[in-house]
Amino acid sequence: MPQQIKRLISVFAIFIALFLIMRQVLKPESFGELGHYRAKAIQENTMKELHYAGSDSCAKCHEDILKDKSLGFHKQLKCEVCHGPGLKHALFIDKVNTAQIPDSLVLYKPIQRKDCAICHQINAARIKIQFDTINTSMIHQINVLDHNLMDLDTKVEYKCIDCHNPHQP
Amino acid sequence: MEDHLQNLYEVLSKVEGYVYPNEIELNWSILIVLYPYITGLVAGAFILASLERIFKLRILKPTYGLALLTALAFMLVATMPLISHLGKPFRAYEIMITPHLSSAMAIFGFVYLWYLMVVLLLEIWFDYRRDMVIWANETKGFKRFLYKVLSLWTTDISPKAVALDNKLGYIVTVIGIPSAFLLHGYVGFIFGSIKANPWWSTVLMPVIFLFSAMVSGIALVMLIYILLTKIRKLSIDMACLDMIAKYLFYFLIIDFALEGLDQIHRIYEAEESFEALHKLVFGKLFFTLFFMQGLFGTILPLLTLGTFQFYKPKEQIRKRIYLVVASLILVGIFFMRWNVVIGGQLFSKSFYGYTSFKIGLIGAEGYLMASIWLIIPFIILAFLLWLLPPWKKIEVDHEI
Ligand code: HEC
Ligand code: HEC
Ligand code: HEC
Ligand code: HEC
Repeated sequence: MPQQIKRLISVFAIFIALFLIMRQVLKPESFGELGHYRAKAIQENTMKELHYAGSDSCAKCHEDILKDKSLGFHKQLKCEVCHGPGLKHALFIDKVNTAQIPDSLVLYKPIQRKDCAICHQINAARIKIQFDTINTSMIHQINVLDHNLMDLDTKVEYKCIDCHNPHQP
Repeated sequence: MEDHLQNLYEVLSKVEGYVYPNEIELNWSILIVLYPYITGLVAGAFILASLERIFKLRILKPTYGLALLTALAFMLVATMPLISHLGKPFRAYEIMITPHLSSAMAIFGFVYLWYLMVVLLLEIWFDYRRDMVIWANETKGFKRFLYKVLSLWTTDISPKAVALDNKLGYIVTVIGIPSAFLLHGYVGFIFGSIKANPWWSTVLMPVIFLFSAMVSGIALVMLIYILLTKIRKLSIDMACLDMIAKYLFYFLIIDFALEGLDQIHRIYEAEESFEALHKLVFGKLFFTLFFMQGLFGTILPLLTLGTFQFYKPKEQIRKRIYLVVASLILVGIFFMRWNVVIGGQLFSKSFYGYTSFKIGLIGAEGYLMASIWLIIPFIILAFLLWLLPPWKKIEVDHEI
């Protein structure tokens, strides 16, 4: 065999062998055991800390609110959309002294105007719907900087919840 | 409250009409424009070299080696814009060790590897082996060592061995042409196969990419050739330059016709996306499409090169004009990639709105980063020309 062919074949052989070895070494552990992904990824994800409890679990203690809410415009909103992740609260609130509840168990109360703005602020990129139509796939928009901003006499800023019941707006 | 709303207003000031939330920010920016641009230059330069070798256009001889080395210099950098665009660049190799057939990008890794290892490097190696053996004997020190390693310590430069090199080199070039087509057609395929995007999704995309690649690659070699002879203070081979210009003209016609066809097709079909695209083309893409790509990048070069087929001004003038035309084409093709990549992300897939693209000077996706990836290939090329000067080679006739 000519010299140059011999050399080339050995170089390519070394290259391919190296590639195969690298593949073995660098291939992520547990890759391909269940499919074209790392099987351990599933386990890793299940080990992540949980934060949300789900609205059903709130029902155990706050049935009244759940019922109120189910009658109003906010019926399809989950509690934790507004109050934030509540797993710890749901699990441990009845295990502590009610007189001094640790901060970590107290849930956020979205009482400020900006909290409602997250969903209701007027936004050209969201499709507008007419006043008084009931279409639960879209959200009514108002201009938070304008809509009933303050008491005209006292100049005190209104909160949204002064007029709207957040659970039954 | 003001903060929060201020943010919202800022984001919304970028968009017009209705866009989906994930369309406000462009995820593929200038680095992804560079990726098809650079791969195109590789494929085009290689095809120019093959013209000499396969189609026996002896007149192109002075640019054969230059074209190959240009292709290699740009090939080595072709994936870098992609990798520097990644959030986790150090995981990039995983695409090669755990590839999946359904991943267009993973397969690109192998197409790239095939082209680099089996086509470019092999062809250059066969072409330079004898010279490297000779140079190894003539030089001393590190350069000598380098030649030894590169020639894989071969020593046989008998006429028989050289004839074999020639023959194998020829075979590699024959395999190389479809491979070059594959390489760049594939880049077009990656865009053309995205069916959710009407600006990209057309079966013509790979072909358009291919021909624009040839145009840009040939223009690049032409530019480098002119500049290099100037730097080396040699007189230029005008017959060769005229021939390159002729092929540039032919490929430019095909490229122009294909892109025209694509647009005519789109206009005549007038699918539901048409109105949105129409507004895009006459709005946000107006300048880059009609002026940079169309007028400067295509029409002007076409007219000039076309005129030269009938009427040839004096050499000195012709040379200058070729220089300008090649630069115009290179800029034009860059904007062609720009219009594809950036244009495809400027409109909402709801067809109801548009977003806008702002690019910074610095930062991982800024102008500076992009220019780095455009300058490095020239540095590599300078090194390659120092190491493997095509003009110092022993003339071999590629006839077998
Ligand atoms: C085990 C019973 C229990 C469950 C389950 C539970 N809570 Fe509570 N929650 C309480 C008690 C008791 C209080 C009153 C604590 C206090 O006096 O401030 C409370 C108070 C609250 C408050 C008012 C906090 C304040 O600052 O006034 C909110 C909001 C609240 N819960 C939301 C939720 C949500 C949302 C869920 C479901 C994820 C939930 N709770 C599940 C028992 C529960
Ligand atoms: C639209 C957002 C929103 C949703 C959804 C919502 N809440 Fe509230 N919630 C509020 C606001 C705002 C307050 C504060 C009311 C106040 O202070 O007057 C509040 C107060 C509370 C309180 C304190 C007691 C009270 O009545 O003031 C509890 C308990 C509570 N929510 C439970 C829930 C539960 C359980 C759900 C799910 C069924 C839920 N919330 C869903 C906005 C919401
Ligand atoms: C997570 C998103 C979200 C948040 C936060 C939210 N809302 Fe709503 N709101 C909705 C949806 C969804 C509806 C039902 C669709 C509709 O009618 O607009 C609704 C409906 C309403 C309506 C009835 C509109 C009508 O049809 O006349 C009022 C009033 C209202 N919300 C007030 C508030 C107030 C006050 C707050 C702040 C405490 C608030 N919302 C926070 C999502 C939200
Ligand atoms: C002074 C009392 C008052 C305050 C404060 C107030 N609203 Fe209202 N809101 C109303 C009344 C009354 C209506 C029904 C008539 C109307 O549209 O003006 C209404 C209507 C709405 C609607 C339905 C609009 C539509 O197009 O159907 C939404 C959504 C709403 N409010 C949200 C809010 C939010 C969010 C805030 C806080 C930023 C807020 N409101 C503060 C009294 C109030």
